[in-house]
Amino acid sequence: MNGVVIGVIYALAALGVSLVVGIMNVINFAHGELYILAGYFSFLFADALGWNMYLSLAVAVFLVFLFGIFIEYILIRPTYGNEMYSLILTFILSIVLQNAYLLIFGPYPNKPPTWIKGATEVFGLFFYGNQRLAALVVGAFVITAVFLVIKLTWFGKIVRAASQDREMAELNGVNTLYLNMLSFGLGCALAGAAGVILAPVFPVTPTAGVQVALTAFVVVVLGGMGSLWGCVVGGLVLGLVENLGAAFLSTGYKHIFGFIILILVLLIRPAGLFGRKEI
Amino acid sequence: MRKGLLVSGLSLTMSLVFFLVFGIAPVMADTVKVGVVGPRTGTAAATGKAFEEGIKLAVAYVNSKGGVMGKQLEIVFEDTAGAPDKAASGFERLVIKDKVAMVLGESHSSSALAEIEVANRLKVPFIVAEAWADPITAKNYKYVFRAGPSNSGVVNETIAKWVVHEKFKKAFIVAENTDWGLGIAELTKKALEKAGVKYDSLVTERQSQDHYTELSKIKAFDPDVVLAYVYGTGLHYFVAQAGETKLTPKAVILDGAGPPSLWPDFWKNVGDYGNLECFVSSMHEKVELTKLATYFREAYTKEFGTAPTDYKSRSIFDAVLIAADAVNRAKSTDADKLVDALEKTNLLVTRGMVKFGTQMGGPEYHQWMPPMLIVQWQDKIQTVLYPTEGATGKLKK
Amino acid sequence: MKDKRVYAAIVVALACLLPLGLDEYKLHVVINSLFYVMMASSWNLLAGYTGQVSFAHAAFAGIGAYTSGILSVKAGFNPWAGIVIGMAAAGFVGFLVGVLCLRMGGIYLSLTTLGFSEILRIIITNEYEITRGTMGLQVPALMPVYSKTAYFYIMLGAAVLSLIVIYKMIYSDTGLNFRAVQNDEKAASSLGVDVVRIRVMAFTVSSILAGMAGGFYGHYLLLITPEIPSLDQQFLVLSMAVIGGLGSFVGPILGAFTLEILAEYIRGYGQYHVLVFGLVALAMARFSPRGVMGIVSDYKRRRNQSLIAAGELRG
Repeated sequence: MNGVVIGVIYALAALGVSLVVGIMNVINFAHGELYILAGYFSFLFADALGWNMYLSLAVAVFLVFLFGIFIEYILIRPTYGNEMYSLILTFILSIVLQNAYLLIFGPYPNKPPTWIKGATEVFGLFFYGNQRLAALVVGAFVITAVFLVIKLTWFGKIVRAASQDREMAELNGVNTLYLNMLSFGLGCALAGAAGVILAPVFPVTPTAGVQVALTAFVVVVLGGMGSLWGCVVGGLVLGLVENLGAAFLSTGYKHIFGFIILILVLLIRPAGLFGRKEI
Repeated sequence: MRKGLLVSGLSLTMSLVFFLVFGIAPVMADTVKVGVVGPRTGTAAATGKAFEEGIKLAVAYVNSKGGVMGKQLEIVFEDTAGAPDKAASGFERLVIKDKVAMVLGESHSSSALAEIEVANRLKVPFIVAEAWADPITAKNYKYVFRAGPSNSGVVNETIAKWVVHEKFKKAFIVAENTDWGLGIAELTKKALEKAGVKYDSLVTERQSQDHYTELSKIKAFDPDVVLAYVYGTGLHYFVAQAGETKLTPKAVILDGAGPPSLWPDFWKNVGDYGNLECFVSSMHEKVELTKLATYFREAYTKEFGTAPTDYKSRSIFDAVLIAADAVNRAKSTDADKLVDALEKTNLLVTRGMVKFGTQMGGPEYHQWMPPMLIVQWQDKIQTVLYPTEGATGKLKK
Repeated sequence: MKDKRVYAAIVVALACLLPLGLDEYKLHVVINSLFYVMMASSWNLLAGYTGQVSFAHAAFAGIGAYTSGILSVKAGFNPWAGIVIGMAAAGFVGFLVGVLCLRMGGIYLSLTTLGFSEILRIIITNEYEITRGTMGLQVPALMPVYSKTAYFYIMLGAAVLSLIVIYKMIYSDTGLNFRAVQNDEKAASSLGVDVVRIRVMAFTVSSILAGMAGGFYGHYLLLITPEIPSLDQQFLVLSMAVIGGLGSFVGPILGAFTLEILAEYIRGYGQYHVLVFGLVALAMARFSPRGVMGIVSDYKRRRNQSLIAAGELRG
């Protein structure tokens, strides 16, 4: 059960990565830090400033979106075509952000207020925290929204076109520069959304983003780079495997499954479950 | 071209190295420096804060009574972040760079174990304040003292006796995988066996935020009391999630360390599930064993505006006093003379009379065990449950 | 060629005099720097010269350190022997990882090494019965009586050895092959360069060197924790190489010393040094990817060009 909830969140975080990878061929190492940033923002607004909870969430995600565009402009833009470069850059960025958070927000975990208190009895079998249930519902909702946008809207069409064949899309008049900016921003916003949803359950600390980013990468590789369905399936699979594995082995080994899966996939079927053949 | 590059590169390097030589100049001041080690960052950063407060009060107290050998006492507080490698290098930095006379403090057993090695190698007296693992004094290092609880002391004098007193029949031990956690869990198991209490246990990660899987295991055992030996915000999540999964209030949770239940963000993270949680402490305003304890509470309230809650601030206060007293009696900062003076300590502090043990071969060597209490949160008020002589209430379920 | 060796010898000779002028603590800082010199240079061999950006470098140092440490503590091995075995272990694993990553392009390779590094760290942390995990493994010293000066000479020796090995690799045929592979694999293989062999060799050699660095460092610190094979360490190594100059020989040496000494100064003001490094590394990576050495060589080139143009230097 826990696995499903966690899985949905993983999928959400991974969606952001997949989007950016699919369109821009860039892996954003700092993805986790953006998740954390949104968590911090929502904490700031809701807790410290006392704003209305829903407003804080929306503003937090929006700010992360803007920040994402900013990063794209300053740092990523000159790296087109050279993957290693952007990898190193975003890796450094992630460390910089982690330390900046440490300085600005302090080392204590920060927890935005829970949306729903208490717990419910699930299937009459066991008790489960309400906030986690809420996270499941909202997370699923956001994922569905993203899918709908991609499948149905004009923007979505462009995204799909550009990820399939960049040059053709350009020839057909798509302004890839703006597209890149937007998609990067969107990718970061999705990370932020995952952040605000989960922060009430797992308070944010300056270094928590690393685990998030690594997990998102595992999901993307497992599901297949560039495939959105892959993210969802991959996320759920990972969530379930981790929790089941933790139940049978010791809980300390929980995260090892992700990395083992990562390496296995890269070895056997680098395209992942649903991915394209090459990157 | 390449030669030029090499030359410029290497000369740059060398000049940097020589820069080092003329680097940080030592500050000559008319003070006696004592070092403190503790976690100013990391999951237990709140303890660092508590230390800071205690240090401030202690330095003011010592200096108002004439200082140390006529000079002012100065404390240098080095961050060890709960990591043994930072602890060892931080300790070394205090001795070699800051040239302190002795070092106090620490609240992580694993870090303390690394630090005592450095203390032994550099021959610097080290008074451990709140790191409980037995081996710290059981190793019988000449330069290491402990003016604070030891695991065996806490388990045998307080926790085990309390479990029997409350007539708990089944206990579940949750221990973090650190020297403290594993050590205290082992001692608890032995004590519970002797007392005839059934138990089961599991080991957890200190940094872990998600305890659902573990909680279902614990629920299956159906214990009366859960002895949670987790030091850090991990304890908060544990208590909160135990409440969500309805493990409590049927089972009573005991925070085997104490401070996490006293940190400012405890109620925020735990919400209402924190009510009826029990924890270990060595400070309570109704249980003031000495006049100095009352002085501490009043000075703290005056300085910081609220009554003290985290007992570690008072522990480091005691440690500083012990250190200053030793230097004054030794009339020198020579390490061996200080060790001699420390062994002869007979000082009144906030928690009682300090006398270090001399029996070799076990953890009683250079150890002073302060009295500990079991406290329960009852409607956000600290209620002392044990020992019964100082109790202000009874266990509520 | 001869000039360079003379200069290098002079530098090393001067370095040997350092213990006379520095106090124990500053010597400690230099020893730290030497560790990072070994790590940054060997990582540079892999990332700067063959284009394989591995995130597992710190992990290899960890393998060296833990192998040696565990053997010394549990099996009573002499630490020196332990370090040699640690190097072999690291090299062996490096070889395996290199083979694993053969068919992978840049991003996949980096992710795989990242995954590997984390797996190692998780195993080390969880198997605390053997490794003592985050509690730290206390290991014996390399000499019966502890002496910082002796450690300094040992680390200096190890660093010089590392650098000689790296130097020989870069400025030999193998080195040329490295760079050929980095620039264009297809072209290189069409010219007869055995791409597979090159890539695996780079991995193996660099991981042996990392293992050595880790082994020595562990026995210097007398305490081995999962901090050594952590991504934080990897970041420091990476930024030192990047800031100093990826793809240049002197760059990582410069980067290592500069950053470590800088860290000591900043430490006086608070724990900001990683942030500062990060920002500098970010700026450097963004604007001058070849690091400080890149800036220096660019400057020299432009100066030479203007001199040629002015007729004062024959081009």
